Amino acid sequence: MKILACVKQVLDSESVFRIRDDSDWIETEGDPRYGMNHPDEFVVEEAVALKEAHREVTVDVLTVGPHSASQVLERAVGMGADRAYHILTREEGYLAPFTVSSWIAGFAETRNYDLILCGIMAEDDMQGQVGPMLAEHLGYPCATSVVRETCRPETETIRVEREIEGGRRELLEIALPAVLTLQTGINRPRYPSLSNLLRAKKEKPELLDPARFPMPEDREQFLRAALPPAVRRGVVLEGDTEQKARELHGILKEMAFL
Amino acid sequence: MKKTRDAVVIIAEAQGDETAPITLELLALAREIQLAQPCKIRFLMVGHGTEATARDLARRTGREVVAVEAETLRDYNTETCLEILQEHLPGLSPRFVLMGQTPRGMDLAPRLAVRLGAGCITGVDALCVEEGELRFSRTAFGGKISLQMAPARSITVVTATPGAFTAPQESVSSQGSVRLVSSARRSARSRTLGIIEAPRQERGLSEADVIVAAGRGIGTRENLALIERLASVFPRSAVAASRPLCDQGWMDYPRQVGLTGATVSPKLYFACGISGAVQHTVGMQGSGFIVAVSRDPHAAIFRIADVCVVDDLEAFIPAFLALCREE
Repeated sequence: MKILACVKQVLDSESVFRIRDDSDWIETEGDPRYGMNHPDEFVVEEAVALKEAHREVTVDVLTVGPHSASQVLERAVGMGADRAYHILTREEGYLAPFTVSSWIAGFAETRNYDLILCGIMAEDDMQGQVGPMLAEHLGYPCATSVVRETCRPETETIRVEREIEGGRRELLEIALPAVLTLQTGINRPRYPSLSNLLRAKKEKPELLDPARFPMPEDREQFLRAALPPAVRRGVVLEGDTEQKARELHGILKEMAFL
Repeated sequence: MKKTRDAVVIIAEAQGDETAPITLELLALAREIQLAQPCKIRFLMVGHGTEATARDLARRTGREVVAVEAETLRDYNTETCLEILQEHLPGLSPRFVLMGQTPRGMDLAPRLAVRLGAGCITGVDALCVEEGELRFSRTAFGGKISLQMAPARSITVVTATPGAFTAPQESVSSQGSVRLVSSARRSARSRTLGIIEAPRQERGLSEADVIVAAGRGIGTRENLALIERLASVFPRSAVAASRPLCDQGWMDYPRQVGLTGATVSPKLYFACGISGAVQHTVGMQGSGFIVAVSRDPHAAIFRIADVCVVDDLEAFIPAFLALCREE
């Protein structure tokens, strides 16, 4: 069985950034930290766990991103993925999910994967579109927000539980090949092992030029990034910790919460 | 009014025999679109036993409801639903197809967009009009910024964040209409085996006057004790968490507040180390009074908080608790 795990590099959620003067994207300040999109850690773990549970499973890992994104491939190989592929884009900026999913489909269509795993969404643009769109490009069935899977390679099916409203779960049996997007919490992602990390350093990812895939026309237009409006005009407490604690204590007492 | 064949088609969701709240919220978005660009508003409902809900929806909104009755959807199935939508949507001449940013909408929208050759804008929480052109806003980077998007195709599939639009309170003059059609389509690639019911809900959350909630920003598991102690100073209080904490196993899922967990509206919501991503805030934005404590001055939670405390939790909570003890 061949598995493809799709991962993305994102800016760490606590890094400081601001909107660029041209409003075209963000720019970081200070010492920005980048890492693997948190939901994608579960993707790599699930793929590697499948490899350990079944015979003759290979796990390829793929990212679409700038040069620095190779760090997430290194981490994925460190966790136990076999081979890494990198569709190398220009530096940071907005990329439409339709474009990204078309490129991944272009990469995957000749490689005959049985199972393609994606995270439920990226923490940066939060669109949740690449996985399901990829399934459509390839003509595969798809389940999103998966919280448990049982793969049955012998019958070429996979059973999945996907999360729906109110904490309920839909139980499905899907024919392989298929695309799943995994909800966070489906497993406990492992740390990379030293031996795998050494292997990752030695075996560089295969670089792919996006120009080898068709560049689709935009299906919706990204205009600009902006600051969202404040919903409530909250009071920002000033002073040192002691002063802020005293002020909050006064407010909550005044409102009879204490 | 300009005559046009374009329509906004709302994919209706049912909750039992009734219209789900998100469907009426989508009507609010559809009317905003209609104000800027005259068009018809139609509902499309796909499922099994749809007639009662379709009549309820037509009566409540005075609009046209097309209900596709499918025996094959006795158990809901995305692949089958997609095939039916693909078959029936073009006949309704949609320019916009609206769904909720719900587990069902998130599952369907991107795939439907590809099938229709349409654009796709997910997680929309506001619409504005610039010189007659529609601009959809959606949040990104954990709610710290919003991305402005514009349609670029003759059809655009849009999902709206639950709670972002307010269901219209309109007096309905028309009876509306229901058109029932049937479909026998069934996907061969996916079979629904059943629904697993949710684990017992944490009743404490819905009954509490005060909820103290912890997020990824609390740092270590040991700091949960601080959160518990903070909750203990408020009468009728409960402890809750954002999803990442439950994923790490630090708290049970029934205590999770947000899109995939509980929706709460206590008198006081005390958010500790919560970034304020929309997946969490949709579950607590109806709270009476919101206090947020976070080390990150740019955290999105501060946009919806009444009192914002930029500080380290490990210093701030003990200082606050000391004041409570003084009494």
